[in-house]
Amino acid sequence: MNTSNNVLIIGSGVSGMEACIMLSKAGKKITLVEKLSLIGGKTIKNEETYPNMDCSTCLVAPIQQEILQDPNIDVLTLSTVEEVQGKSGNFKVKINKKARYVDLIACLGCGMCYPPCPVSLKNEWEENLIDKKAIYVPCSGALPNVPVIDAALCLKLNGSEECNKCAEACMFGAINFSETDQIIELNVGAILIATGYDMLDAGKLQNLGYGKFSGVYTSMEFERLFAANGPTEGKLVLRNLESIPQSIAIIHCVGRDLVGYCSNICCTASAKHAHFLHHKLPDANIYNFYTDICLPDKTYQKFHEDVKSHSSEYIYQKDREKMKIQETDNKLQISYLNNEGKDAAITVDMVILENALQPSRGTDQLAEALGVELDQFGFVEAQTFHIGSVVTSKNGIFVAGCIEGPKDIQNSVLQAEAAVAGIISSLDQ
Amino acid sequence: MNDKIGIYICECGPNIADKVDIEKIIQSISQMEDFQDKELIIKQHKLLCSVDGKKFLEEEINTNELTHMVCAACSPRDHDSTFIGVCKKTNLNPYMYQMINIREHCAWVIHDKEKATQKAIRMIHAGMDRVLYQQPLEEKQLDSNPDVLIIGGGIAGMETALSLASKKRKVFIVEKEARLGGKSAILKELLPRQGVNLNILHQKVSDVKGNDNITVFTNTELDSVVGFLGNFEIVLKNNQAENQTTELLAGAVVIANGFDLIDPGTLEKFHYTEEDEVYTAKQIEEMLSENGRISKRNGDIPKSIALVHCVGRPEVGYCSKTCCNYLLKISKMIRDQSSDIEIIDLYKHYCLPHKEDQNFYNAQKSKGIEFIQITDLKLKGNELEIIEISGKKRIVKADLVILAPAMIPAEGSGKLAELLKIEQNYTGFFQEAHLKIDPISTNTDGVFVVGTAHGPCGISESIIQAQAASGKILTQLIPGQKIIPEVMVSEILEAYCTGCQTCLQVCSYGAIYFDEDKGISVVNEAICRGCGNCVGSCPSGSIRTRHFTNPQLFQEVKEALR
Ligand SMILES: Cc1cc2nc3c(=O)[nH]c(=O)nc-3n(C[C@H](O)[C@H](O)[C@H](O)COP(=O)(O)OP(=O)(O)OC[C@H]3O[C@@H](n4cnc5c(N)ncnc54)[C@H](O)[C@@H]3O)c2cc1C
Ligand SMILES: Cc1cc2nc3c(=O)[nH]c(=O)nc-3n(C[C@H](O)[C@H](O)[C@H](O)COP(=O)(O)OP(=O)(O)OC[C@H]3O[C@@H](n4cnc5c(N)ncnc54)[C@H](O)[C@@H]3O)c2cc1C
Ligand code: SF4
Ligand code: SF4
Ligand code: SF4
Ligand code: SF4
Ligand code: SF4
Repeated sequence: MNTSNNVLIIGSGVSGMEACIMLSKAGKKITLVEKLSLIGGKTIKNEETYPNMDCSTCLVAPIQQEILQDPNIDVLTLSTVEEVQGKSGNFKVKINKKARYVDLIACLGCGMCYPPCPVSLKNEWEENLIDKKAIYVPCSGALPNVPVIDAALCLKLNGSEECNKCAEACMFGAINFSETDQIIELNVGAILIATGYDMLDAGKLQNLGYGKFSGVYTSMEFERLFAANGPTEGKLVLRNLESIPQSIAIIHCVGRDLVGYCSNICCTASAKHAHFLHHKLPDANIYNFYTDICLPDKTYQKFHEDVKSHSSEYIYQKDREKMKIQETDNKLQISYLNNEGKDAAITVDMVILENALQPSRGTDQLAEALGVELDQFGFVEAQTFHIGSVVTSKNGIFVAGCIEGPKDIQNSVLQAEAAVAGIISSLDQ
Repeated sequence: MNDKIGIYICECGPNIADKVDIEKIIQSISQMEDFQDKELIIKQHKLLCSVDGKKFLEEEINTNELTHMVCAACSPRDHDSTFIGVCKKTNLNPYMYQMINIREHCAWVIHDKEKATQKAIRMIHAGMDRVLYQQPLEEKQLDSNPDVLIIGGGIAGMETALSLASKKRKVFIVEKEARLGGKSAILKELLPRQGVNLNILHQKVSDVKGNDNITVFTNTELDSVVGFLGNFEIVLKNNQAENQTTELLAGAVVIANGFDLIDPGTLEKFHYTEEDEVYTAKQIEEMLSENGRISKRNGDIPKSIALVHCVGRPEVGYCSKTCCNYLLKISKMIRDQSSDIEIIDLYKHYCLPHKEDQNFYNAQKSKGIEFIQITDLKLKGNELEIIEISGKKRIVKADLVILAPAMIPAEGSGKLAELLKIEQNYTGFFQEAHLKIDPISTNTDGVFVVGTAHGPCGISESIIQAQAASGKILTQLIPGQKIIPEVMVSEILEAYCTGCQTCLQVCSYGAIYFDEDKGISVVNEAICRGCGNCVGSCPSGSIRTRHFTNPQLFQEVKEALR
C-alpha cells in the first residue's frame, strides 16, 4: 500500500492545526487525532492572547473551521493512538476512537439536549469551576459544535431504561446510544506529535495553599474565569464568596524549582493577567511577585512595561521557597522575603498561581506506543545533533509545540511549520 | 436572458422554523413590488446544508436555469463555502449567489417572532437587491517559478537553503560579505544543550558550497525587486564592482540578514576607552577562537572578570534573549581556562527560556561564580558602580569586563523593507504577517523572514525558523502548480483616476503602482488582497473592489434601512 501521501497528526492545538493546513495545501491526506471532543487545544481557553490582546477565537476559529471542512483532513476526536508499528514511510497505526453517542453530521449544535439531562458533574475543561450535564459541549463556541455523552455517568448508558431525556429533546435524531468505541487502523508515512502541555498540579506547592484556600487560583482557572464564554461569563467573582476581589497577587515561577526549568510563557502570561484584572477591576490593587522576569520576544518587554506602569506593582521576592500563603478572615496573607532578605507580608483577596507547564498527561504511554524517547523532564526529545530540531529519536516521527518544551503560540506554530518541511522531505524519500 | 432569482429559506430544523414565520416571509417576498417584473422561485427546505439539501439546491439551479440565488439560512461562517461548492457544480457563477443569515441575526436573537420575521424579510429583500447588482467573476491562474532567493548567508540563510535544496529547489544566496557563515562563525563553542561543538556549523558552510542546487553570490546585495508570490524579478549588485549586476527570477524571497550589536560606547552609562580592559562578548568569542584563552591587552591573564548583562536593553526596549545564556557559556569557558579567575556575574533578570537552560545555570552556579542581581549599573573603565537588588550601592572592580550588548536590526534592514514592501515593527526588526499565527510570513505574499532578522534569537531558533520558511515555501509554491490570486480585488477606473497617488500611500501590500506613461495608478491584481483601503482613500472615487462595489453595497444598505 502506498502510504507516502498520508500523515498522522496527534493533537489539535495551534501546532497540530498549522501542520494540518499546510500539509493539506501540499496535497497530503491527514488524519488528525484529538483526545478531547473539541479541537483547538489550549489557546481556545484563553479569551485574549498576549502581547497584542488578539481575540483568541478570532485567531483560531477560522483555522478550526477550515480543518473541519477540508476534505483532505480527517478529524478523529475523542481518540488516542494506541499502537504504532512499522517504520518511516510505512507506519501502521491503531487508534482508539471513543463513542461520542451523538452523530457529527446529524447534530446541529442547537443545545436542546442538555437542559433535560438529570445528571450533573464538574466540567473539567472549565477547570471544574462549573458543572456540566452528562451530555455536554465543554464550552460555548466549541468546534465541532456537537455534544458528547459522558459514558461513565449517563444514566441510560449505565442501564437505566427510563432516562432517554436527551434523545427525546433532540429533533434531529442525532443521539445514538448504540454507538460503540472503535479501533481504527491506518497506514501513514509520517507522524507529528503535537500533544501540547498540561499544568503542574499547584497543590504540590503546599506553602501556597492551592486547594485549601478558595481564593487561590491557578493561571488556567483564571483564564476561564476571565473568559466571556467561561463559567461566570467573564465576571471576576471569587469561588466561594461570590464577592469581587479588591486586591490580587499574581505569583510567578510556581513549581519552577520542582520541575527544574523556566516555563517560558508565564512572565508574559502574568502581565496579561494583570492587564485583564486592571481592565475589569480598575480600582483593584494588583501585585506581581517575581524573582526574574523572562520576556523572550522582541514585543514582550513593551507589553510588560505598559502593565507595570498602568496595572500592577511588581514585588521582588528573594527566595521562592520561603513564600507562604495563609488564610485569615477570608483574606489571604502572603509572607515572603523582600529584596533586602527581610520578612515581609501583604494581604489580598485573591491569589493567582502561575504554575509550571508540563508535558501533557499520557505522554509516557504515547511515547511508548510510538517508540520515541523523552527527555529528563518528560517532554518529547528533539535530537540535539540537529541543534534546532523537530526530529524525534525515531525516523519519520516529528515533534512540534509545547510537547517539545514550554513555548508561546508563535514558537509553537513555527516549530510546526518546520516539522512540515521535515515531513515533506521524509515522505518523498 | 431574463433574470431568474432562486430564493431558498432553510428551516434549520426547528432553529429557524420555530422562531420566524417562514410562510409569511415567502408570501411577503413574492409580493414585493420592485420584483414584480422578475421571475422569483421561492422555496423552503428542512436543512439546506445536508446532503439532501445540497442536492435539492443543485437541481433547483439546473432545472430553473437560475441567474441569481439567495440562501437565507445560518451564518456564512458555517455554510457559505457549502453553497459556493453547490454553485461550482452548476453553471451558476458563485459570485451570483448571496447568503443571508436569518438564524444568528434573527431566529436566535429576537424573541418576538413577529419582529424576527420582519427583520428576516428585510434582510432577504436587501440580499435580493444586492444579488441583482452582482457580477460573475472568474478565477485566474498564473504560472509560478519555484526557485527561492535568500538574503544573508548566516546560519538562518544557509539552513533555509539546505532545507529547500534537499527538496531539489534551486536556491540563490546573496551574502554581502566575502564569506558565508554570519556571526555564529566567530564563536568558540556552543551552549551545552547544543552539543558545544561548532563543527556542525562549519559543516553547513561546506554543504552549501558543495550543493548543486545552491548558487552563492558573495560580496553581493539586493538592488531591486518587483513582482509577487511566484514571480519576483530580481536584480543583484556586486558591492565591489558597482556596475556588475545579475538578473534573476524567483518565486519567493527569504530575508536572513541577521543582526548587529549596539555599540556600548554610545550608551549613557558606559564610559570606557580602547585602552580599558572592557570587551564585548563578541570580542571575547573572537579572542577565544584565535588564542584559545582570555587575556588582557598586555597578554596577562586577568585575576577577576565581571560579566555585564543587558547592555543597552533599556535603550532598545527588548530582551536580546541569547545573552544570559552565552554569558553563562563564557563563564564556563573562563572556568575551563582556569579555576582561579574570580567571576562576577552582574545581572538584572536571568532569562532562561529554554527547558535545558536552568540546568546550565545551576551547573555554573556550583562552579564558584558570584551572581549578583542588580537594578542598575554604571561603568567607568574597569570600575562598576552597581545598585544591588537590596538597594545597596557599591563599587565592583574587575581586571577585565565583558559586556553583552543588545542585538539590533542589521544595518540595511530599512532598505530591504522598502525594496520588498514589508514592514518593520517598532524595534526595527521585521514585522510578521501575524505575530501569533503566521510568524514566518510578512505582509508581502512570498516574502519570509528567518533568524535574527526576525528578532533576537539563538542558533537553534534560527534553524527552526529556517525550516519553517522552507515548510511554507514547499507547501505554497509547488513546481507546476498554478497560483490562483484573490478574485475580489480592486481596480482603478482609468477614465476617472487623476494620478494623485493617494492610494499608493494607503495600500499596505504595495499592490498599486503608478503608470508614468498614462499618468494614472494601477492595481496589480496578483498582489491586491481586496482590503478596500484604497477605495475609501481615492478623492475622485475611481477605485472599486469587485464584489463589494458601491452600487452593490448601497443597494443592500438601502433595502435593509428602508
Ligand atoms: C495560562 C496560560 C496563558 C497563556 N497565554 C498565552 C498568550 O496569551 N499568548 C501566547 O502566545 N501563548 C500563551 N500561552 C501558551 C499557549 O497556550 C501555548 O503556546 C499553545 O497552546 C501551545 O500549543 P500546542 O499546540 O503546542 O499545545 P496545546 O494547545 O496544549 O494543544 C495540544 C492538543 O493535543 C491534545 N492532546 C494531548 N494529548 C493527547 C494525546 N495523547 N492524544 C491526542 N491528543 C492529545 C490536547 O487535548 C490539545 O488539544 C499561555 C499558556 C498558559 C498556561
Ligand atoms: C557573543 C555572542 C555569542 C553567541 N553565542 C551563541 C551560542 O552559544 N548559541 C547560540 O545558539 N547562539 C549564540 N549567539 C547568537 C547567534 O550568533 C545568532 O543566533 C546567529 O548568528 C543568528 O544567525 P543569523 O543567520 O540570523 O544572523 P547572522 O549570523 O547575523 O547572519 C546574517 C548574514 O547576513 C549577511 N547580511 C546582512 N545584511 C545583508 C544584506 N543586506 N544583504 C546580504 N547579506 C546580508 C551578513 O553578512 C551575515 O552573513 C551568540 C551571539 C553573540 C553575539
Ligand atoms: S444532539 Fe440534537 S439536541 Fe443536542 S445539540 Fe445536537 S441537534 Fe441539538
Ligand atoms: S440519557 Fe439521560 S442521562 Fe444520559 S445523557 Fe441523555 S439525558 Fe443525560
Ligand atoms: S517565564 Fe517567568 S514566571 Fe515563568 S518560570 Fe520563567 S521566570 Fe518564572
Ligand atoms: S538575555 Fe535578556 S535578560 Fe539576559 S542579558 Fe540578554 S537582554 Fe538581558
Ligand atoms: S484593495 Fe487593499 S490591497 Fe488592494 S490595492 Fe486597495 S489597498 Fe491595496
